[in-house]
Amino acid sequence: MLILKALVRGALHGYAIAEILKQTSDDVLQVGESSLYPALQRLLLNGWVSAEWGASENNRRARYYTLTAAGRKQLASERADFERMIAAIQKVLQTA
Amino acid sequence: MGKLFRRVRYFLRRRQFEADLAEEMEFHLAMKAREAGPLARSEMGNITRAREEARAVWIWPWLESVWQDLAYGVRTMRRQPGFAAVALAALGITVGLNTTFFTVFNAIALRPWPVKDPGRVVNVFHFELEGPRRSTHGFSVAAYRYLREHTRAFSGLVLQDQAPVKMDDRRLALTYVSANYFEVLGIGMERGRGFLAEEDRVGAPVAAAVIGYGLWQSRFGGDVDVVGRRIRLDDVPFTIVGVASRDFTGVPPLRNDVWVPTAARLLLRPNDPSVLALLTSPNHCCSSMAGRLAPGFTREQAAAEVELVERQSRGNQPDEERTAIVVTGTALIDVPNRNRRQAAPVFALLFLAVTLVLLLACANVGNLLLARAAARRREIAIRLSVGGSRARVVRQLLVESFAVALAAAAIGVGLASWLPQYLAARLAPELALHLVPDLSVLAYSLALAVFACLVFGLAPALHATRGKISSALRDDWRLPGIRLPLRSVLLSAQVAISVMLLAGAGLLVRGFERAAAQDPGFAIQSVQAVTIDLPASAYGDVQRRQFASRLAAELHGAPGMAAWGLSMDAPLGNSTTSTSFYKSGEPAARRRMVILHEVTAGYFDALRIPLVTGRNFIAQDEGRPVALLNQTAAAQLWRGESAVGKTIVSDKAREIVGVVQDANTTHLGSVEPTMYWPMEGRWAPLVLVRGGGPGAVEHIGAVVKAIEPRAEIHAQDLAENFRSALEPSLAGASLAGGLGLLALGLAAIGLSGVFAYMVRQRTREIGVRMALGAQPRDAVRLVFTFSLRAVTVGLAIGLGGAAALSGVLASQLPGVRPLDLPAYGAVVVVLAAAAALAGLAPARRAARVDPATALRWE
Repeated sequence: MLILKALVRGALHGYAIAEILKQTSDDVLQVGESSLYPALQRLLLNGWVSAEWGASENNRRARYYTLTAAGRKQLASERADFERMIAAIQKVLQTA
Repeated sequence: MGKLFRRVRYFLRRRQFEADLAEEMEFHLAMKAREAGPLARSEMGNITRAREEARAVWIWPWLESVWQDLAYGVRTMRRQPGFAAVALAALGITVGLNTTFFTVFNAIALRPWPVKDPGRVVNVFHFELEGPRRSTHGFSVAAYRYLREHTRAFSGLVLQDQAPVKMDDRRLALTYVSANYFEVLGIGMERGRGFLAEEDRVGAPVAAAVIGYGLWQSRFGGDVDVVGRRIRLDDVPFTIVGVASRDFTGVPPLRNDVWVPTAARLLLRPNDPSVLALLTSPNHCCSSMAGRLAPGFTREQAAAEVELVERQSRGNQPDEERTAIVVTGTALIDVPNRNRRQAAPVFALLFLAVTLVLLLACANVGNLLLARAAARRREIAIRLSVGGSRARVVRQLLVESFAVALAAAAIGVGLASWLPQYLAARLAPELALHLVPDLSVLAYSLALAVFACLVFGLAPALHATRGKISSALRDDWRLPGIRLPLRSVLLSAQVAISVMLLAGAGLLVRGFERAAAQDPGFAIQSVQAVTIDLPASAYGDVQRRQFASRLAAELHGAPGMAAWGLSMDAPLGNSTTSTSFYKSGEPAARRRMVILHEVTAGYFDALRIPLVTGRNFIAQDEGRPVALLNQTAAAQLWRGESAVGKTIVSDKAREIVGVVQDANTTHLGSVEPTMYWPMEGRWAPLVLVRGGGPGAVEHIGAVVKAIEPRAEIHAQDLAENFRSALEPSLAGASLAGGLGLLALGLAAIGLSGVFAYMVRQRTREIGVRMALGAQPRDAVRLVFTFSLRAVTVGLAIGLGGAAALSGVLASQLPGVRPLDLPAYGAVVVVLAAAAALAGLAPARRAARVDPATALRWE
């Protein structure tokens, strides 16, 4: 879900995804390669993202991932689920 | 769905995918290195693992490792071409035989007619509730017409009746059909059309014909304008109105060439007064009836309706013949008649034989694999010790044997796609069999392959991974594998199965010899059967009877005609006529069947069939209601009394004037009750002449031509008939012989594999023994006594099984006796010889073991 969110604003390569997640979460979420790439492959397999080769900022070949329509839909539904879950957890914590 | 598609695309382009992934991760590392310095690589953790995990997303990991196992299996096979060749040949041939058998069985017994929506097309029969035959018969043309008008359970009812016909000089199979035949069965036309209702009227028969695809091609070269052309059937001109679809070669199992409307009988047999009766009288039996069920009706409802309507048509009189209506599918196995009851045990036995051969091949390959697995103990032990799980190793071995099974299945399907056609073309060209191995046959052979894989893969696999790793690594010469029961069981099973097959072959071969030496009860040597082909359209009963008596008169007293007689059929010819009758004074319902021959007095003289009591036919008997019986019939009817002077009622009341000795006039084996009538012209006569040589045949030909110039004659030695009557025994003997030889070969291969393996494993032991003073012949004895018990047990089981099954064989083929001791003895000798031969090379190797080398073994 977080990877999908990172891709909402546009195509990114793998390293950039990891960086964005790190930055936007103020270094709380550090995504390792060993979980990032399998996750990306799963997204590809499910057809939620597509990938193509392009030139990176420093002019190297890099693989850019783009959100597909199915991916947007998936993000929305996962996000709704997640928010419901967080709300529920908070409610439980507050009433305690 | 999209997911599967993407997976497949991944699999097809996996190299590209992997290169992409590697490059991508390399890029990631580079980026990281730029920011975090050289520490990045260690922070990154195990890259390979990350890559593996990323890959594992795409492909089920086990699928990939199965693929690896398969490749590994193929590689090890390639390193042992001998083993691979033997295993593949053994399994391939047996799977091929099994598939062939199933293809033929499917084509003969299970396949419905090749018509549109065959599931709704049914046969309708009368099924006899009483009587010894319990057979089926069809419907009269009149009954068919009535049923067609008055039933609602069928969207269409058709009638058909097959008969031979001559076109120019070719004998063809013709079927009389109702006009709606092609339309109801949904048979397409290559050219033209089927029949119209107005072409099948008894009052105004039309000479229209539909020809089959084969005839269209062979006789008319596939001429596109064939519709409208004239053909002459039995010298009567017919007009072709259509060509039936290529897929329809007649209603199985018999091939058909020409179809004409039912009413065209009147045109083809203009002088036969019985034809009109056949077409109009409800008492004239029988043609085959079939129908297409109307939507919503079941077979049971249809049968009930036909029964009801038929009773109404009789004016609610009870059925004299005591029959029920049965409605069945169109596959041969659905038809409840005598053929099925006769064919069933033969098929069961064949099925058993080919299954036994398959089991034998499995046991054989299993033994080879077992030996190989034992030889690979070291490899397996290493795999286990470096952390391969037992399941993983077992799977690897299973996949290997599965690869063999699949390859064997491929060979089998290849064999089965060619062998059935070849056999059918050679053995039964008159049958219209659709012999393409279809999907069900493919599934069957794949199931066999998987079954074989399980049988011969799993046991050795489990077996090989048992036992301690350490002892296997040391290559301990006291391997626990030497006296394992599994191999003995496999060996016994092999021996037992090959003994059963060999014993079956032995019984059949001996049976054939006995049948060939049998006295059929009549003279065979130098007797000629001269068949007379009268122009069928010009002859009815009356003309035939006149022809027969003129022929008899002209032949009478002719020179060189030592002994001759007329008959309607030749002994052991390919047709049998039977009739039913009851004893006068008994109720008509107690009808029984007998074989019927119409003959003249000279018949018994020409064939040397002696008269037992009473008198032979005399010239004055012509036209008189008299009959002769054979001994079997006389004994069955009047036990202990004389049959002479008694009366039976068949077509009419007839007086028994004499009894003749039994003779195998219709088939070899047991003699059936038989009745002889004087010639009455129902069938064309033929002349049986003993002695006289070619001169006599020429003379008969001249006499026949003088009476009827259009007739054709054809002479055949009775010895020829006797030979063809032996055909089933010969075919059975050669089939069983072939299977037996195959079994023997497989058993020999298996045995020699076992011996060779045993010698290799015990080389060190043999070496020690030799060092301690044992002679080479002791080593040889060691080899042979090793499997003695297993072979003996197998032999005993095999002989017992063969004796149990031989009863079925004996009931099917003449000359076969169940407890034929010489046959069993021969089997034991042959098998012992094969075992000795198989042990020869290994035993020689054992005898030549050099103690020094053996002790230094590994």
